[in-house]
Amino acid sequence: MDIRNVLLIMRKEASESLKNRWFIIYTVCFSVLALLVLLFSTMGGEIAGFSGFGRTAASIINLVLIFIPLIAVITGGISISQERESGTLSYLLSHPIGKNEVFVGKFFGLLITIWFSILLGFGIAGAGVAIMGGQGDVTGYLLTVLLSILLAACFLSIGFLVSVYSGKASKAIGISVFLWLLFIILGDLGIMGTTVVMDLGIKQVFALALLNPAEVFKIASVLVLSPRFEILGPVGVYAVRTFGQQGVFYLLFSIMILWALVPFAYAYLVFTRFKKEEI
Amino acid sequence: MISVKDVTKKFNNVVAVDSVNLHIQRGESVALLGANGAGKSTLLKCILGLLDYEGLIEIQSRNTGENLKLSKSLIGYVPQEPLFYDMKTIEILSFFGAIRRADKSRIDYLLELVGLKDHQNKLSYELSGGMRQRLSFAIGLLSDPLILILDEPTSNLDASGREDFLKLVKQSRENGKTVLFSSHRLDEVYYLSDRVLFMKSGRVVLDVKPEKLMSSLGIKVKISFKLPESFIADAMAILSKEGFTNVSRNGTGIYLEVDESQRVLPLEKLMQSKIPIDDFLIQESSMETVISQIEANGY
Repeated sequence: MDIRNVLLIMRKEASESLKNRWFIIYTVCFSVLALLVLLFSTMGGEIAGFSGFGRTAASIINLVLIFIPLIAVITGGISISQERESGTLSYLLSHPIGKNEVFVGKFFGLLITIWFSILLGFGIAGAGVAIMGGQGDVTGYLLTVLLSILLAACFLSIGFLVSVYSGKASKAIGISVFLWLLFIILGDLGIMGTTVVMDLGIKQVFALALLNPAEVFKIASVLVLSPRFEILGPVGVYAVRTFGQQGVFYLLFSIMILWALVPFAYAYLVFTRFKKEEI
Repeated sequence: MISVKDVTKKFNNVVAVDSVNLHIQRGESVALLGANGAGKSTLLKCILGLLDYEGLIEIQSRNTGENLKLSKSLIGYVPQEPLFYDMKTIEILSFFGAIRRADKSRIDYLLELVGLKDHQNKLSYELSGGMRQRLSFAIGLLSDPLILILDEPTSNLDASGREDFLKLVKQSRENGKTVLFSSHRLDEVYYLSDRVLFMKSGRVVLDVKPEKLMSSLGIKVKISFKLPESFIADAMAILSKEGFTNVSRNGTGIYLEVDESQRVLPLEKLMQSKIPIDDFLIQESSMETVISQIEANGY
């Protein structure tokens, strides 16, 4: 793998994304919403005292959970499929560049762009808090940022897997949106429903939650921002008592890394083993 | 330069390229002719390394399957319909230039060569069909490759765009590039190639010099002379005496069919005999005639 080619593709992807109007709309929306969250936090602060970073981060978590997985999974979903459908991928590969270089370059180019918009949103909110003199858990805030960019990597990775299996961009978008609904909207309901119907124990419920990267992100974020893990309910108590608070965080962090790596690696293998006529 | 040995390409059970063998020398310009679905584009894509195949393809005596990147760097490819990212002309050239390790001066030179210097800041979708094809050609020349592969490059161009494009290819050919192109047009074949390969059902069924294409297929050139009424009989007698058969009278003169190599001879004979000629028409054979003759000859 020639790293120069990977960097070329990364640069092209990042440059194209930054000019893409949907991406710009998304970044602006995320930043504005982060700012609004900050303002509401401040208003609350007038009554109960401004709580600073921890409160802002906790509010942004809900934004992150909706926006980041959606944009990441759709961006990943169309990344390969759109180029295959339009024929630009085949033309690109008629030049001295490898499929593996294209794949890795596209993934990291898009990942960096999504990270940029996340950091912008968090950055605006963080700067706002700092300017207003808010104080609080800066480490927790930074860890939430870290978890958010990891969440983006998880869903981009899932999107790439969808993309290599979808010959058409429209199909990839459909599957991506369905997966987003499944993980984000139906995730909680699914766990609750399964728990009730199958009469699951706490251990199984915790294991079930670990299967959903969004759920893992949510639990990890709460653990990072609140010393009172009891707010996670009996499952949280079970997890902390079993693994320790730090242990649970490391476990959740590792699971998110796996969610980022495994679909990416699998998609990489599928894509690089495509027959040439499948491109 | 390019060696194709027993190459077969199947799509499921359909054989698109069937045991093709050919060798193209350095500096040669070779036209691939054939009807739609004959396997021309598929063969070109196999040579480019864009399709898997059975058999062996070598470029400069290196197996392309084992040296894919190197082979691609030796080839400039111009597809039938260029597909670009939504970037400016200069950005597209710079992007592919970086992949092909071309320097900035080469990009400037090519923009000038293909006449896109004034359009370098236009987005790709703002370019006309002819401009897009010239941009594609410039991309193909970025690394100053030894070989140019063109897949029906003029099929989407208007007359003026086609002429401009063919001049560029001709220029490259004269600069020593090895050119392999597919086409639907006989005039392009005559203009650009010094060897014609005719493909049918995935096989190369004819490998001739362009000037021998018609005679090898037994296709005659149709010639009409418009003559003053009083000279028609004399003209027919003169041409018959010179050995031209199938000389017949038409409304305002005579009509005959001759071998490709004899296309000028009737005109010379009539002029030598002082027959006044009001007008004449040499009717070129079309690709359809060639294809139907290939069928008729049982290739």
